[in-house]
Amino acid sequence: MQQATTMTLGARSASGRRGSQLGDTLFAGACQAAGGFVLLLLGGIIVELFLGGLPAFKAFGLPFLWSTEWDPVSEVFGAGVSIYGTIVTAVLSILLAVPLAFGVAFTLTELAPPWLRRPVGTAVELLAAVPSIIYGMWGFFLIAPLMAQYVQPPLIDSLGELPGIGALFQGPPFGTGILTAALILAIMILPFIAATMRDVFEQVPPVYKESAYGLGCTTWEVMRNVVLPYTRISVAGGIMLGLGRALGETMAVTFVIGNANRITTTLFGPGNTIASVVALEFGESETGSLKLSSLLALGFILFVISFIVLATSRFLLRSRLKG
Amino acid sequence: MSDQAMDDKTAAARPNINAMQARSGAALNEAKLAIKGLDFFYGTNKALKGIHLDIPARQVTGMIGPSGCGKSTLLRVLNRMYSLYPGQRAEGQVLLDGQNIIEDGVDLNALRSKIGMVFQKPTPFPMTIYENIAFGVRLHERLSKSQMDERVEWALTRAALWTEAKDRLNTSAMGLSGGQQQRLCIARTIAVRPEVILFDEPTSALDPISTLKIEELIDELKRDFTIAIVTHNMQQAARCADQVAFFYLGELIEVAPAAQLFTAPKHAKTQEYITGRFG
Repeated sequence: MQQATTMTLGARSASGRRGSQLGDTLFAGACQAAGGFVLLLLGGIIVELFLGGLPAFKAFGLPFLWSTEWDPVSEVFGAGVSIYGTIVTAVLSILLAVPLAFGVAFTLTELAPPWLRRPVGTAVELLAAVPSIIYGMWGFFLIAPLMAQYVQPPLIDSLGELPGIGALFQGPPFGTGILTAALILAIMILPFIAATMRDVFEQVPPVYKESAYGLGCTTWEVMRNVVLPYTRISVAGGIMLGLGRALGETMAVTFVIGNANRITTTLFGPGNTIASVVALEFGESETGSLKLSSLLALGFILFVISFIVLATSRFLLRSRLKG
Repeated sequence: MSDQAMDDKTAAARPNINAMQARSGAALNEAKLAIKGLDFFYGTNKALKGIHLDIPARQVTGMIGPSGCGKSTLLRVLNRMYSLYPGQRAEGQVLLDGQNIIEDGVDLNALRSKIGMVFQKPTPFPMTIYENIAFGVRLHERLSKSQMDERVEWALTRAALWTEAKDRLNTSAMGLSGGQQQRLCIARTIAVRPEVILFDEPTSALDPISTLKIEELIDELKRDFTIAIVTHNMQQAARCADQVAFFYLGELIEVAPAAQLFTAPKHAKTQEYITGRFG
């Protein structure tokens, strides 16, 4: 009886094995192909962008990176203004979004009663689901007029008078411009930063928080002295993640940044970003023209910047999983 | 087990024979903390039932009992740690020098500076050894640099860590061994100059040598501090405590001076537990 059982089991597993081996091979092959495809795709995009931008790099050389010229008529192009705009709006948006995200994460992990945490957390995550074009329209039709009427004039009258930083808050209050773009970007990247912060704050072992509370710390002191030091690397990673998103955002920025090819000291002035320039000018570029090549070169530069930022973010966030 | 046998056994386990002998005969001091009719709830689950217990000043009260008996819960009531968690609540009275600390409106930060706590696992903060100690002090006092230096040295000396740590005060506390980290946590707790120190199984994550050091330390600290210690280890309770309380299923079954509880328990359940029949 025992022998018979062994026999059938043996026979069944042997035949089943052949089938599963074939299935395994197919499945592994398909998965590997999918994995390889991603690599190939990424490599293809980089190469294509680089080759497309090569004529522009050749024509203008390294000064392409800082030249502020953008003249389609005489075919002289430079990336200076849009690189500047990209970096300034992204950094400003980080400055605006980080305190807000910290407040959201702090509330969600420490302050809010449990029944409120889930709805607020979900609402913050849903901000990430709002399409970029909606933010663009909202920014253009609602935020820009509000900025022009209620935010910019008082800032011009107060901070604009100060020596030094006053230069940042001068000029006509158009509503659109660098600051408005940064504001919209800040709202768009808020969910990414807040979600990362909330997750890492929750990972701090309760016993560490308790031992700080046990010394007589207030909630804020526990946050500042225990939770933040523990999570600072991951928090930086989350901020870089947001920065990466802000750098590449196109539609919302195009709506509100004003789209002018100049570098102004004032934050109320119009400007452009790499993504907004490409979005606006791509349709008007002839195949094979130097302008198209310059736009592709811009794309390549943006790709490199975003890649570096996101790689840094991944690196910082990975150390949290290990530690 | 006779009194004599008990004394011999514990005397062999620890070097300080005089202290043990003195302790077994000594009367208990007046209560620093008086727990009266305390009930505790995790949501609807009643974890402590009608506890009455006096914790005598400048002596060690050991709390023993099987897992889930409520001894750690009681410790977390004494410094209101449970208040961090919604849904946990205590009813009854816990009097610290006559003032009820579990009623609403008690200043928790001030309370916790009076009642310090050392946890099961060492919890050094991610900063230097010096800062770990100074951190807690700064929450409650404003000291000059030299005063702070003195306080740090005092706390580390009292925690028997000064000789090992004095040359590396400005290095990260994470670099200390487990036993050293636990003594750092004790130093951090006493640096605030509390009146009561709660130990929640302070040696369960430590090796025997470190355990011995911590136990000697507790014996030394009780000159100045009132101490309550939760332990799984009955030998530890016998070695350290003046008074031992035995908990079972959320109730305080028996409380007595250590020598009496371990040699002549009044309650059958205590007898079963200390002879290792369950738990």
